[in-house]
Formats: sequence, C-alpha cells, structure tokens
Amino acid sequence: MSNVANEFSLLEETLLIEKPEKTEPLGILFWICVGWIGVNVLAAILANVLPMKNPLFEDYNAINVGPGLHHLFGTDDLGRDIFSRVVFGSRVSIAVGVGAMVIGFGVGAPLGMLAAYKRGRFDTVLTTFMYVLLAFPAIIATIAVLSFWTPRALLKIIVVIGLASVPLVYRVIRTATLNVATKDYIIAAKVQGATDRRILIKELLPNIAPIGVSFLLIGIATVITLEGALAFLGLSVNPPTPSWGNMINEARTVLAQNPWLVIFPSLALCLFLLCLNFIGDRLRTHFDVTEVKL
Amino acid sequence: MTDTRQPLLRVQDLTVTFGHHHHAVSAVAGVSFEIYEGETLGLVGESGCGKSTTGKALMRIVEPSSGTIELGGVDITEQNGRALRNARTHMQMIFQDPISSLNPRRRVKDIVAEPLDCWKKVRGPERDAMISDLLSKVGIDPAVYGNRYARQFSGGQCQRISIARSLAMRPKLLICDEMVSALDVSVQAQILNLLEDLKAEYGLTLLFIAHDLAVVKNVSDRVAVMYLGKICEIGPADALYEAPAHPYTKFLLGAALEADPDSPMHSQVLEGEPPSPMNPPSGCRFRTRCPNATERCAAEEPQPREVAPGHQVACHFPLSITRK
Amino acid sequence: MSESEKLLVVKDLATTFATAGGLVPAVGGVSFDLERNETLGIVGESGSGKTVLSRTIMGLQPRANVTVTGSARVNGFEVVGASEKEKRQIWGTEVAMVFQDPMTSLNPVMRIGKQIDEALRVRMGMNRAAARARAIELLELVGIPSPAQRYDAYPGQLSGGMRQRVVIATALACSPKLLMADEPTTGLDVTIQAQILNLLDELKDRLKMSVILVTHDLGVVATRTSRIVVMYAGRIVETGSTREVFYHHRMPYTRALLESSPKVSNHPHTRLATIPGRPPNLLKLAQGCSFAPRCAYATDRCHQERPELQPAAEPGHSFACWNPLPTTRGVAAP
Repeated sequence: MSNVANEFSLLEETLLIEKPEKTEPLGILFWICVGWIGVNVLAAILANVLPMKNPLFEDYNAINVGPGLHHLFGTDDLGRDIFSRVVFGSRVSIAVGVGAMVIGFGVGAPLGMLAAYKRGRFDTVLTTFMYVLLAFPAIIATIAVLSFWTPRALLKIIVVIGLASVPLVYRVIRTATLNVATKDYIIAAKVQGATDRRILIKELLPNIAPIGVSFLLIGIATVITLEGALAFLGLSVNPPTPSWGNMINEARTVLAQNPWLVIFPSLALCLFLLCLNFIGDRLRTHFDVTEVKL
Repeated sequence: MTDTRQPLLRVQDLTVTFGHHHHAVSAVAGVSFEIYEGETLGLVGESGCGKSTTGKALMRIVEPSSGTIELGGVDITEQNGRALRNARTHMQMIFQDPISSLNPRRRVKDIVAEPLDCWKKVRGPERDAMISDLLSKVGIDPAVYGNRYARQFSGGQCQRISIARSLAMRPKLLICDEMVSALDVSVQAQILNLLEDLKAEYGLTLLFIAHDLAVVKNVSDRVAVMYLGKICEIGPADALYEAPAHPYTKFLLGAALEADPDSPMHSQVLEGEPPSPMNPPSGCRFRTRCPNATERCAAEEPQPREVAPGHQVACHFPLSITRK
Repeated sequence: MSESEKLLVVKDLATTFATAGGLVPAVGGVSFDLERNETLGIVGESGSGKTVLSRTIMGLQPRANVTVTGSARVNGFEVVGASEKEKRQIWGTEVAMVFQDPMTSLNPVMRIGKQIDEALRVRMGMNRAAARARAIELLELVGIPSPAQRYDAYPGQLSGGMRQRVVIATALACSPKLLMADEPTTGLDVTIQAQILNLLDELKDRLKMSVILVTHDLGVVATRTSRIVVMYAGRIVETGSTREVFYHHRMPYTRALLESSPKVSNHPHTRLATIPGRPPNLLKLAQGCSFAPRCAYATDRCHQERPELQPAAEPGHSFACWNPLPTTRGVAAP
C-alpha cells in the first residue's frame, strides 16, 4: 500500500467546489510588513531633510552614551549618533539591495523569458553559459573583484553584486517561463495571429510576474545580507560612511562595553529582511492561482 | 457526390518528423486528405497515431517536414511571418484541456477579444458589442461573466469561452482536438450540440479529432482512421462504421464501449499494442497485429484505393463490403 | 443470503470534508452491499462522490479534517473508525485498489517485480526466491508477455496498458477478496481498454473475487457488471441490476445521463439530449433533491424535501425520486 499516499491529492480535484471569485485578503501582518518597509525606505530617502543629527558629526562630549532622550539609540566611541547612523546606513543597504536586483532582473529576466519562449539553439547556448557562471562561486568572485577594484564606491558594489546575480535570476525566470510557455493558451495566442512580442508581454509576463516579484523581494533581502557580509570583511563602502554591515563590523570590538552599537543596526537589518521575506512569500502564495484553496 | 464540392483544405503527403537522424520519429508519415466546404471530417485513432500532430501541423504549430497544406488554394507551408499569421486566422483550433487553453490571469472579455486586438480589426464600442455577441452565442452571459478571470470557470464553461475566442476572426476551418474528452458526459453533450449549432450559423468546416468513436460518429460526415502515422481508411461516417473495410477499423469499432448491456461483448479483442513509431514495421504498418497479414503485407506498402464511392482503404486485403 | 455472508455491507456511509468554504458532504449517506464474486459498477460524473466513496470504503482518509460516519464492513471487518494499523490487516488481503493513473501509482524508480515482491514479502512472509517466483506468476496472470524479463523493467519502460496490468498484479499479490478499480481504463486507448476490462472480468472468475468498477463511463459498466449504483452529488439516486437500470430506469437523472452519451449507432449530426446546467456545488447543496435544479420534472416538493431510495418493481432496484419516470414494466408509479 505504499502507493496510497500520493493518491491523496487526487481527492481534492474530484471535489467539485466552485472556485472563489475573490482571493482571500493578504492579512494584517502583511500590511504591517509593507508599512515597515515603507517607513524604512522613506526615512532613507528623506534622511537629509529629516530633523536628525549629522551621522558623521563626532560629539566628544557624548562618547559611548547609552540610549536616551538626547541620543535615541546612544552614541559610539567617537560620539556619533547611532540613530542617525542607522537611518543613513539603511541608504547603503537599500541602495545596494535594490540597485543590484535592478541590474540582475534587468539583464536576467528578459533573457530568461526569451530563452524559455524561443527554445532551440539560443536557449541551449545561453543556458549553458549561465550554468557555467553559476558553477563559479559568486561570493568569492565578488570578494575578489571588490578587493582589487579600488577605491570602492557604492556604484561599483551595486554593479558587481548585480552582475553576479544575473545567472540566478535567469534560472528562476527561465524555469517559471518554461512552465507557462508550454500551456495551450500560448499556442492559442500564436494561432490567433499574436506576435511574439505580444505573447511575451500579454500572455507570459502576467503569469511570471508574481514569481518574479516575490523572487525580487527575497533577492533584495539576500543582497542586503551579502552587503552586510562584505562590510564585515571591510569590502563595502569605505568608513566613515555608515552602512548596517560596517556598523556591525566596527562595533564588534567593543561589543562587551557598548552592546547598543551592535544591537540597533542588527535589529534594523533583521526586521527589514524579515519583512521583505514575509512579503515575498505571502505574495507568491497569494498569486498562485494553481494552488488548491480548500 | 462530394467531388462536385470544392475542397476547402487539401492536404498532400503531410509528414511530421521529430528528432534527428536515427532518433527521428515520424509522427505523421505521409497523410493526404481533403475537407470539403461545410462538412465535418472526423479523425480517429489511438494515442500516438499522429492525429493530434496532424491537427497541429495544419496550423503549423508543429512544422511539417514535407507535404503541402492548401487552404482555399493557398499553400500555407510556404508562408512565413505576417502572411502565416494571417493565414492562421482562417483556421482556428480548440484544444483538449479547457483549463490550460485560457490564460488564468486574463479576463474573459480580453481573452475573446485577443484575436481582434491582435489584428486591430475593430475598436471601441463595436469591439465590445462583438465580444458580447460572441459570448452570448456560446451561452456565457457577457454582463455577468465578461469581467471574470478565466480561472473561475469550470471545464465546460472554459471550452465555451475557447469556442467564442476561436470564432472571433470568423475562421473558415475549425480544428477541434479532443475538445470534449476532458468533460463530463452531460457537459460533453451540451458542447457537442453547441458546436453543431455554431457550425450551421457560421458556416464552419470542421476537422474533429478525437479518440472516442461514438463522439466522432455523432458529429462527422466523413471519418478518417489513423494508425501509426498513416490514414488507413477514410469514408462516409455511416458506411465506414457499418461496414469497415480495414481490419484495424473493424477492431477499433469492436472495442468501442457502447452504453448498452445488450451490445455485443468484445468477442474479438485486438491483442498487443501498437509498435513504436521509431521503428515502424515494413510494408503495412498494421501487419504485426493483423490476423489477415501475409508476406505481401510485409513487402509492399498498401496504397489507398477506393472500395466504394468516397470510401478509400489502404489495405491489400480489404474486408468485403456487404451492406446490411 | 444473510448479511454476514455478504462481502461488503455499506450502511449510511458519509464522508464530510471540512474546508475553508464550509463543510463539503462528498458522500452524503450511502447504503449498498456486494455479494461474493459479483461485479458492481459505481457510476457518476465528477463531483458525484464516487471516488471519495471508494476510498472511504478502502479506509483511506487523506486528511485530518475529514469526518466519516456510518458503517462499511468488508468481509466482517468494520472499516469506519479502524486504526491505520488495523486497516493494514485488510489492505491487500481483503480489499485492494487499482487506481486510475498507472504512472503515479507505480514507483518510477523501482523495478516492477520488486514492487510486487514488497507486498508478498512483508504481508505474506515469503522469502526472496518464493516472492520472485510468485511475482512472475502474477505478471503472467495479468497477461504480461515474457514476465521473467519484464520483472526487471522499470515502469517507464512499459506502455500505459502494460503499466495498468502491473498495477493489477500488485493489487492481486495477496489475493484480495474485493478489488476496487477506480477508473481503471480512463486514459487508455479503446483497444487497450477492452483488453484491461476483459482481464478484470477473467480474473474475477478465476480468483473468485468481487470487483467494484468506479467510472464515469456508462459504456464501461454496461456489459461488465451485474449491478450498478448511480451517484449524484454524493448520494445514490438509483441502483439495481445493470439491465434494469439501463432499460427500466425511473430516475430522470439516469435517463438524462444515458441519453446524453453519444452512441456509435447514432447517425451523424444526431442531436444529443442534454442536461441543463452542471453538477452542483457541494458547498451549496439545496435541501431538496440535488438534481431538482436541473430536472425537467421537478416540482415544489423536489425543491423542499429530499427523496429517499424507494423500491421499484424488480427486487433490488430502487430509486430516489418524487416524480419518477413512468415504469416501462406496466406497474403503476407510486
């Protein structure tokens, strides 16, 4: 009777249940996460105009002050305000995350869609090339390039991580497109006289977009973590410009004396990633029309 | 007789080969037939016989390796690009899986309007009126269901929407590929009746591909039987079912399950399974399972010949036709 | 024949799924029985509950949120409420199942012989050599040519018809008394379908077992069963001997089902009788007869009150309808 287990799912298909006209709401937790991300992004954009202390200003009268009214998150060993450094630091993290993914998706997604739709030689050559790139350890390549490509500027970091993510994005989008491209409605569109361009935009894109968006969000989170790791190795933006990663890196030596220095940027990083991952995952299940909603 | 009518579609020596060199499989191995204006040609056969591939090759969804497909005198195997896309609008196809034929993320109205939008034939209110008309014709209320997404419909309804979409460009030929085999009996009857009504109203010519002999008989004027990539018998539906001339047709009909306890039990069941199309038998492709096969069947490929007016069979020893 | 001697006795069996949308009565109180060495057909469209019913009788409950009430006794063993461990005692030896899709019910990475062996060695306590010999015997029994060589084949190397034969061999491994075949020939070609149905018929007589054929295809049950059960929206709407149901049916649904299936004997362009609408949504079942919304004979009573099965003229034939079709046997309608 070992065969019985995989037959269970069949039952659900045999039940005739009218499909829901409206999908269930996304839930309060989802909107809280969206709100938090929104606040972070807004703060990062408006950091200059917000009434905040200069993150680079060294106030020697207030060194290693704990969290309080005057310095919300306290100050570091140079008297810099942690709160404003966390806010300004989010700029680097968010810029790297979004920027790298824009490059990754800008190059990888159209190529992946085209390859899966066109198939044939174009697909074979491109996919082989991408798999060769995937086989090359991206993190080591990134570290190597960044170690030599000095001075390190934000744009360089974005470009390097973005290019490194292209094969990953390509693979995800190509697989997603392959599933859709073999469906009868694609053939139907073709025989009605739709051009390839029209099929790619009208038929394929709406079906891949949900997968793309959720992967994009999770990708941003991954890149932010990567930036943190690079900063930890001292390979991200040069101090004194703050980023969540290099704040944690700089503070690790004084962790025992002044834990606030690590706790606040870590907390900001964690919350941001958690929200991104949650939103991405929730969107994926929400838009998954094939999933049985029983 | 049929000869006086004009063939709308003339297919000659159509071959479709997949793969290369010694992995090549001829899914369709030289098929010729005509479909006359206003008639329904049924195409039956078991899985792997090439009937669906034939249908797809006519639309050039799969590329024919050789042969000609003339639609209204124009050979569409020679066309490409815009001309091909244009030629395709004279033919439309309805697929087996009703759910996967419709984009789940588009609204019913847009799905039906897709062919019109592709060709920008009509716009604005005229376009909307046309879509509403098409949807009403297939029994879907455009006011209630037009704005819903395709994923909210049952199999039968999806097939109705597919039909509406296929009619938008007023095609001459409709290719129905197993269009009712995924539906429940009661829904299947609705769709078949609808198809007959629309055929009359729009003056359609049909190629009805199916494995179900009863369904094919109910809609077809003429029936072609395929086995392993070739047509083994073609003739008027009544005559072919009543007195099959090819041994394979006889077995196929004998195996059909009739919803009648008094129907003769399957006394003669065809043994074995079709050989692989990768390595088809020499001569007649059915000879390995045929009880009447002789050496001649292995040596020489039987050519289609007429056994009765309009009734052709590709067999060296056709069963004698005795009409009851 | 007394009830205890019957192979299968089903009484008021109901299977209810708790879903996000509400309770789904997939099987809503079904009673029937099955004699030894008999073939029974369960016929219905999708959503009729035929598949859920067959699985409930097997004791296969897929998820935690399923409630089963009533009783189903297989050769005296009560399936409803039995634990997984207890049910394992009857699976294979008393009742076995043949599923629709032979590709998913066979393990694609296991040699077919091994899949039959497994049951023999675990359940029957056979040693390796004996199990192998028996497995080859079984493969031969289900008509697989050169079974000794095929023993080592993988499912992917066999055609659909051959795979279904292997599935049947696996089901027969421990000589069950009841074989449950759920759409065993759906998806197979016409000629292969006939082969498999003939095989099931032959095996039934040879192994003295009973067979339940679950199908949507009236053609499958017409000549293969002695009795049939017609299901609609989770309930039995008509049951009786096959000939009685085909020729003297009283329930309008049965007639509609029969008339809407195309026949080989029809002339081209025959207009088919249709049933308006589609099978009901089990979440929103009406309180009266489930078929009433689609029925041409429905009256107010049909919409208000659910008809129970009532006996027809011939023994064993019963139907659930307030306004049955006039009997063709010259007996006044109740």
